[in-house]
Amino acid sequence: MPALKKCYHIKKKDFIRAGEASIHVKNLLKTLNYNPELIRRVAICGYEAEMNAVMHGGDGRLCIEINSYQLVLKVSDTGPGITDIELAMQAGFSTASDEHREMGFGAGMGLPNMKKNADHLDLASESGKGTQVVMIFQTGPET
Amino acid sequence: MNREPTPTCFIHFDKNLCNSCIDCVRACPTKAIRIRNNQTIRMVDQCIGCGECIRVCPKGAMTAATATLASLEKDKIPVALVHPTLYAQFPGIAPMDLLAAVKTLGFHHVMDLSHYIEMFQCATEDFIRRNRVSQQTPWPLISPFCPVAIHLIAVLFPSLLHHILPIMRPVALAGREIKRRLAKEYRVLENEVVTYYITPNRASYPFERSYVDRALGINDVYAQLIRQIEQFENNDSISSLQDQFNITVTGNGLMWAISGGEIAGLNIEPTLAVSGIRETMAYLEKIELGLFGDTEYIELRTCPDGCVGGVLTGIDRHLAKSAVLRMVPKLDSGRRLPREKILRLYAKGRFMAETMPSDLEQLLGTTKEHLSLESLQKVENLLKSINGMNCAACGSPDCRTFCEDVVMGRAALRDCLLIWARENGGDTSSS
Repeated sequence: MPALKKCYHIKKKDFIRAGEASIHVKNLLKTLNYNPELIRRVAICGYEAEMNAVMHGGDGRLCIEINSYQLVLKVSDTGPGITDIELAMQAGFSTASDEHREMGFGAGMGLPNMKKNADHLDLASESGKGTQVVMIFQTGPET
Repeated sequence: MNREPTPTCFIHFDKNLCNSCIDCVRACPTKAIRIRNNQTIRMVDQCIGCGECIRVCPKGAMTAATATLASLEKDKIPVALVHPTLYAQFPGIAPMDLLAAVKTLGFHHVMDLSHYIEMFQCATEDFIRRNRVSQQTPWPLISPFCPVAIHLIAVLFPSLLHHILPIMRPVALAGREIKRRLAKEYRVLENEVVTYYITPNRASYPFERSYVDRALGINDVYAQLIRQIEQFENNDSISSLQDQFNITVTGNGLMWAISGGEIAGLNIEPTLAVSGIRETMAYLEKIELGLFGDTEYIELRTCPDGCVGGVLTGIDRHLAKSAVLRMVPKLDSGRRLPREKILRLYAKGRFMAETMPSDLEQLLGTTKEHLSLESLQKVENLLKSINGMNCAACGSPDCRTFCEDVVMGRAALRDCLLIWARENGGDTSSS
């Protein structure tokens, strides 16, 4: 079965370029003629995860795997990690700094928003080592 | 006539003038132009009418497919609808004098849009207020005024089509009204009242064609208007040219010639105004990522600084912008229409767009071929092996598009100079 994997680098604290990886993914999916609504969901998830990596993480990577039945979006960073994953998933919970809040971030909606838009979300984190979030979008019957 | 028979396209291309440089290929925001075997190939269904190719073409081979004044003679009742940008082309000239000058071009009537801009604003504010409760349309709402922006959305950002404010544009409201009134007055059919939109850009909507028949570039009439105004200064026959439809031009309407002018007149917060084709695309990318959900209304203008930066203008956009800012305080700037009356009409649905967002993609979208997963994999591999620098010498706008063209069988690999040089022993290492 053909599968395509592409990865993009996410640079820490680079707010100006944050979102570029998600835009690349979005445009890749557009050339493959996916449903605009699905593309929008993937784009939103990618952007939220990318922003988390930019804000909290060290450097990171955003990877997309495409096969005939699903899209897998993996965003990983080498940041401080999440101590309490259950708490982090709650709407409104945020550890964003005042500086980030001044920039309009830190509403604590990132992870809940990802969970809402992805068909499946997996969050793995180890304190001090980093965080990896995996989101799956079903595009067809599993073969 | 060397013009191609491309009725759907906003741009005419004259191949005898073309020298096959790649300026237009690189400038086209939807990547709709290629050079193959020294021939320019256009994918006209992807043309959004932005006019970027007209701006960059060094030979003048690209021109806007506008109407000509000669066709006025064949029309029963030709009427001009004047885009606010026209006033900005004539610093120091009173808008009413300019409207009189437009009439001398052969129009039965000349209509300013200020009145309809006010209706649009009133309807827009009411729609947004209701939307705060109903959440019927997702934020941010996108202004339907700039047809290039809307075509751009249909071609490259179709997921955003349902963000477009479903209110009819001022020019369509004006065209509908004047056709109805004049058909009655002259006892003719509505389609015998022919409306010419004097505009800085050729793009239009197919679904507005029954209200706005033709587009006339400001640059098509600029020289004649200058001569006419000089004649006015020598004698005062101008009063005979006053038109029943020449309602006072307002500063509120004139502001629509520049970026930010539309939102400046709206009692809506928060709003945003973006101008220029690349900036507009960058913002649409961001909206697609879910940003600006807390902004209620976004004014998009694909020309730099707004409509004064249009391709079909008469004077430099910076001069025009200054002219607007100097003229506005001298004009009646407040709104003049009774709000209650407009809202009554609004409640009857008189301002609602007649085309549903779901139909827009079909009306304005493209038939662009898509890649299969296997093809995309080939594109990615090819892209890596070329490892180019987007020189566009192959005739495609960038390396990725070239690879897509090769995989789709629309270009040959040897068109790539880097590949050709490597195969012929040239020193272009791929690292």
